[in-house]
Amino acid sequence: MADGHRAAYLAFDRFPSAKGSAVHIRHMAAELFERYGGGLLCVLGGGDLPAYQREHGVEIVRFTEAVPNLLDRAQAFSTWAADRLAAHLDTLEICHVRDPWSALPALTTDARLVYEANGLPSIELPYAWPMAAPSTLAKIREMEEHCLRRAEAVVVPSYQIKNAVTERGVTPDRVHLIPNGADPVAPDVPRPPDAPGRYVVYVGALQPWQGVDVLLRAFARLADLTDLSLVVCSSVTRSRARPLVRLAENLNIPVIWRFQLPHEEVAGWLAHAELSVAPLTATPRNLVQGCSPIKVWESMAAGTAVVASDLPVIREVLGDLGRFVPPGRPAELSRAIRVLLEYPEIGRDLGDRSRQKIIDGYTWKHARSRLSGVYDLVVGH
Amino acid sequence: MTPCAVTTGFFTLGKCGRMAVAGCPACGRAICADHIAEGGQCPECAAARNQLSHPAAVAAQRRRAYRHRSAEQYADTVWYTSFDSYDRAAFDPNAGASQDYLDDGDDALVDS
Repeated sequence: MADGHRAAYLAFDRFPSAKGSAVHIRHMAAELFERYGGGLLCVLGGGDLPAYQREHGVEIVRFTEAVPNLLDRAQAFSTWAADRLAAHLDTLEICHVRDPWSALPALTTDARLVYEANGLPSIELPYAWPMAAPSTLAKIREMEEHCLRRAEAVVVPSYQIKNAVTERGVTPDRVHLIPNGADPVAPDVPRPPDAPGRYVVYVGALQPWQGVDVLLRAFARLADLTDLSLVVCSSVTRSRARPLVRLAENLNIPVIWRFQLPHEEVAGWLAHAELSVAPLTATPRNLVQGCSPIKVWESMAAGTAVVASDLPVIREVLGDLGRFVPPGRPAELSRAIRVLLEYPEIGRDLGDRSRQKIIDGYTWKHARSRLSGVYDLVVGH
Repeated sequence: MTPCAVTTGFFTLGKCGRMAVAGCPACGRAICADHIAEGGQCPECAAARNQLSHPAAVAAQRRRAYRHRSAEQYADTVWYTSFDSYDRAAFDPNAGASQDYLDDGDDALVDS
């Protein structure tokens, strides 16, 4: 049985996984647990992940119940998490959460709540669940507002999400911007043994808002560059990439697919690419909700120039250190890729300056130190 | 005979009870020929999606609006935000978008 923990980190998210969110959880939770000499981590399980682990004062418990309906599962997770927290009610001082389903059980304790809003389910869920009625999404929004307003501090990774959160009634003085980060890749990181000669790389998930279909269509326009390949390092499984694999086959594009690569292997693919692409689309998910794409942060940390959609969320990360194209325009994207390939010295300069920007202020160490400042404020109140 | 399970009535609510000819694609409830609303849905599901071409959907929407309003008035946020079967139906495994696009298993709620 656990002795009373002073801190808890809750996320309705599988951990660990190949997703960027898992990288985020790892760093943010590490800061919390380092500060409080351990704590309780409540996350989703599945696969081979153990339901219970204990490592250096950190107790990791995973929700493993198979509940087919997503809403039922989210609510079952809330109830389960509330039971896990119940054992620590006397000692719990702070709860750090990433979503409303984690926030609800945390609100039943006397602990101070830090809500890390990387996304808003009321905006993002309809992409995966198009049958969700407006009235259902309104209820989810209501729940988000309920939790966000009661949080002592709300941590966001971009101005766009900051605006979305303040629109939900959180006073701006309680919203703290902590951009995502990346750790600089060593200049001598080895080239992946199976890497082609020259390649353009995309790293990340494959939901429609990522614009990978636009990238494939753009790449079809680069067919004359016969020595150039496209590498897609997808954080999801092969079966989930099926529609895009089919599209690539129909377009006759030489795509090298890599699925669920361990995070440390992605750095090599990024560092040895001619350039990295972030073709995000102009959807409400990116424009209204906002995001802080880890693929862009990690490309910068690897010193690889980025060609990206011209969206506020990407400008916020890259500043003027990238080549920007209008979102959803394959012809424009292919032209930008071609230009950057033809002027490699410009690409190198962008990559070097991007890497320096990360070293100067956007490593995970910087992000953790900013989070530590938020904890200081929260416990000082 | 499977009876139609759509709520009817004015002062006293009950179930329609006529012979069902279809099932609602969203929530699966049995519906009779008279109560098939837009897209073959039951009136409650059509109302939840603001599809109000069927008179029974309008009635269903009024009932929903009343419950919503009264819960707000009494600040009963837990009751107000609780999800009913119509809300849940949209999150059944077979109701998702192309399952191929769902990230990292269908438990992905928010991907940062």
